[in-house]
Amino acid sequence: MTESARLPMLDTGIQLRPTGWRSVRAAFFSFMLRKRLGAVGLVVAVVFILVAVFATAIGRYDPDQIFQAPNPDYKSDPSISDLAKNQSVGSPDIVAQYESPSATHWFGTDKVGRDIYSRIVHGAGLSLTVGFGASIIAVAIGLLFGVPSGFYRGWLDLILQRFIDALQAFPALVLLLLLVQIAEPSVRNTVIALGIIGIPTTTRLTRAAVLGVGSRDYVAAARASGATDVRIMIHHILPNIAAVLVISFSIGIGAYILFEATISFLGVGPSNVVSWGKMVQEGRAAIDIHPWLSVFAGLAIASLVVAFNFLGDALRDEFDPRLRGNR
Amino acid sequence: MRDYIIRRLLLNIVVLWMVATMVFVALRVLPGNYAVAQFASANIGAISDETIKEAERELGLDKPVLQQYREFMTDLVQLDLGQSFRTKRSVWSEIGDAIPYSLELGFLVVLVGFSVAFPVGILSAVRQDQWPDYVLRGVAIGGLAAPVFWTASIAVFFVLAFNLFKIDVTGQPHIWEDPKGALQWYVIPMFAGGLASTANTMRLLRSQMLEVLREDFVRTARAKGLDERHVIIRHALRNALLPVLTVMGLTVATIVGSQIVLEQMFNVPGVGRLLFTSIIIRDYPATQGLVLLLTFIIVTTNLVVDLLYGFLDPRVRFS
Repeated sequence: MTESARLPMLDTGIQLRPTGWRSVRAAFFSFMLRKRLGAVGLVVAVVFILVAVFATAIGRYDPDQIFQAPNPDYKSDPSISDLAKNQSVGSPDIVAQYESPSATHWFGTDKVGRDIYSRIVHGAGLSLTVGFGASIIAVAIGLLFGVPSGFYRGWLDLILQRFIDALQAFPALVLLLLLVQIAEPSVRNTVIALGIIGIPTTTRLTRAAVLGVGSRDYVAAARASGATDVRIMIHHILPNIAAVLVISFSIGIGAYILFEATISFLGVGPSNVVSWGKMVQEGRAAIDIHPWLSVFAGLAIASLVVAFNFLGDALRDEFDPRLRGNR
Repeated sequence: MRDYIIRRLLLNIVVLWMVATMVFVALRVLPGNYAVAQFASANIGAISDETIKEAERELGLDKPVLQQYREFMTDLVQLDLGQSFRTKRSVWSEIGDAIPYSLELGFLVVLVGFSVAFPVGILSAVRQDQWPDYVLRGVAIGGLAAPVFWTASIAVFFVLAFNLFKIDVTGQPHIWEDPKGALQWYVIPMFAGGLASTANTMRLLRSQMLEVLREDFVRTARAKGLDERHVIIRHALRNALLPVLTVMGLTVATIVGSQIVLEQMFNVPGVGRLLFTSIIIRDYPATQGLVLLLTFIIVTTNLVVDLLYGFLDPRVRFS
């Protein structure tokens, strides 16, 4: 195709929007420039994702490795009375307990001599898994409930909405405490429980969007041309509520991460994994002499949640400014 | 108006019934029950099935689930919440003992939350995009993201490290009995909880104020020579407050959540800690009663907020 062949099209004065990947890229860069806080959130979130993916390389040590340090009270030939006062006096090395930040242990060590920096790095995976996993489940069930509810209205809508009302009125943390104990406290079960907590919000958002789209002409046209209900919902309604799905996906992630940290802090979170919430709890025992564990774990939670909140707010403003303040 | 209230009350009853059913089912699905848990923690060694059966019979856990549900509902209609497995006292008297502590702490949390949210929200709007706005919004965003148990832990560290005052979590004084002792006990949870609950209110108030400050009537008020203070408080704030009211219900729900954590951390014998313990030890009647109490508080707040909204804003019609 030559240059001249394309010119007549431009003469119409209609600015053609770039399509495909170019439009996505253009929209992305324009988003990054206009929503500075959202851009910051995105960058921080991506950094955390990279940290989680390359945790073994970045973490420097194994998160469960127990470090030893020279024993300051070491005596090569302890007497009985020395041993009575201090049992470990005979061993040249003891567990490197509660060390302050240093070049070897950037964030210090915890009560049993593990490297805090390594544990923070390895904890990112859990928070991100929980945040994304729960959000996927909440959005999926929100679709399953919200689309038929908004599409058919009537008695189906009435019943579903009362169920959602009840789920919403149930204090979220209490429901979570009940749900996480039903099955063994694995990461998968925690994700499912958190996803259920998010159902009211995602269902409401989806339903409202479907109500708005359902009365459009193209839905009526599809129906007139004989499309089945399922086909209308999948091919005509779903693509048109995509923006709301993006919003309801991104807006809850921060809250799920906080909820996981809270139940882990309370001692009913997923077991056998490194959890930032659990680390804050472990740090409380000796917080007056060794605040590092609690401080760094809490900072990790707060910065990841801030990042997702910034990103969620920016996406919401971008796609649907009317939703502002409705949460 | 009357019809609207009646309909909302009926809907709330439906919601309460559904929550009651949900908590009933969830508890029965949870592995283990109070009888089993008691013998497991007593650690006496091998327990015969006979002993556990006997204990279950005493608690009424041997009955078929449907019958248990029927009895739970019959009692509930008569506002009887049953007897706590652990203390063998009625759940109502358990609530009676616990609720003063929770109300005390909850009130202090709300007090801190609002006395921070209002000035900060207004200042942040009036000084939009100047440094106070950035600093205050930063704090608010941090308050929303920082877990309440973490801010409380850090506060404990500072109090201990600088020897500010003694944190005594064993005395459990009421504020009307021993104000100084109670405040020393409550001061950390009340600020930690307050900061967490303030963020939403503050952010919403700021955006509402920004909108209202651009309205014509604010310009008119300024043009007729009113001083800025008067304009902001009497003209702008009044109109910005309405939408803020709607997040009150959400705020109450947030406080209920943070209360469980804070009471657990600071050994406050309130509703939140009682509920947490009851769930862990599978005390069915206590858990059911407390969940219903909290749900009742949340739905009632929402109803009151909606009614107040119509009362304060004549444009809102109930239908």
